[in-house]
Amino acid sequence: LMSVTEIRSGFAAIKANIQARDPVRTLSILSHPHSLHKVKSSDRCCVTHHLFNFYVEKVFKHCKTEDSFVNRKISSIANSFLSLKRKLEQCHEQNKCMCGQESTKKFQQILANYEGLNVTSAAFKSLGELDILLDWMEKSH
Amino acid sequence: LYCSLPNPRNVHFESINMKNVLHWSAPEGTGDGVLYKVKYSVYGVGKWIRKPECRNINRTWCDLSSETSDYEEQYYGSVKAFLNGMCSNWMETTRFNPLTDTKIDPPMVSVSSTEKSISIVLTAPEKWKTSPEEESISLLQVYPGLRYNVSVLNKKTKKRWWFSISNNTLVVPWLEPGTAYCVSAQIYVTTPLLHSGFSKEYCIATLKDRTADETATIVFG
Repeated sequence: LMSVTEIRSGFAAIKANIQARDPVRTLSILSHPHSLHKVKSSDRCCVTHHLFNFYVEKVFKHCKTEDSFVNRKISSIANSFLSLKRKLEQCHEQNKCMCGQESTKKFQQILANYEGLNVTSAAFKSLGELDILLDWMEKSH
Repeated sequence: LYCSLPNPRNVHFESINMKNVLHWSAPEGTGDGVLYKVKYSVYGVGKWIRKPECRNINRTWCDLSSETSDYEEQYYGSVKAFLNGMCSNWMETTRFNPLTDTKIDPPMVSVSSTEKSISIVLTAPEKWKTSPEEESISLLQVYPGLRYNVSVLNKKTKKRWWFSISNNTLVVPWLEPGTAYCVSAQIYVTTPLLHSGFSKEYCIATLKDRTADETATIVFG
């Protein structure tokens, strides 16, 4: 899928810069206390759908930096997310992306982690964890 | 405790096939005699964990492969220096993701030939493991998108072919009998974006064309 590869290379270019803005080593949005990797495969599509909405609506818009190169990379990643989000919405509309109690609970945990920090810190931490999301999405099942 | 010793420098992970070793440089201006302590932490989890085998060491590396073997997690390493009763601050790495931050060795290549073809079998390296008895995990299992780039060179004509394959065997047909061919291969993963160097060249000659020999025997007896 072209967009995921674009996201990967865009993120690789700014990973060190973005993660350096997140000094809190002891908290994670996506991987603790419950790892994404524990999500059952039947819940994967719904959690992915939730996460794409989360990144578009709660992360990218709060990640402005003083570095125009980084800002350009963030907006191209956001655009790739939007195109992937649209594809996932089609699955959701065709009921191929069912949301059960487990996936909703999982996503609530992620939101709670996010809301435990101030908006900008939470947004940059989430952006710095993009590789966690991509690694999970691409893991073989 | 106020630590006035200069800090260790360039604290970073060096990783090959997920053998993850913490490296650093000695504090500026310090000669021999500096000792170090090492700790690590899992990203998203609170506590630092000391590495006893790397306590009061004078070398500037520490193997944290078994502590960082779960590649679904991410990690930080940290080092502190000591000299003549003085100490430095703890100096941390950036966030280390074993899955995307490791380097991959080239594949192993084995070749065999017939009169007009060569067969190539490629083997991806194994993920680092704590002991030989432990079950081997091929990097093929870690990276589902793993592929091979293969180069085949005709030593006589210097003509080179390139192949990109996802399975690990390749037969190159329609070659010249009695000719030397050299094969080299590279691993590349599309996502995350990773690639190995090329392996060294493995050369083999196709068998001589027996029909030509037999014809000569018949004609000249």
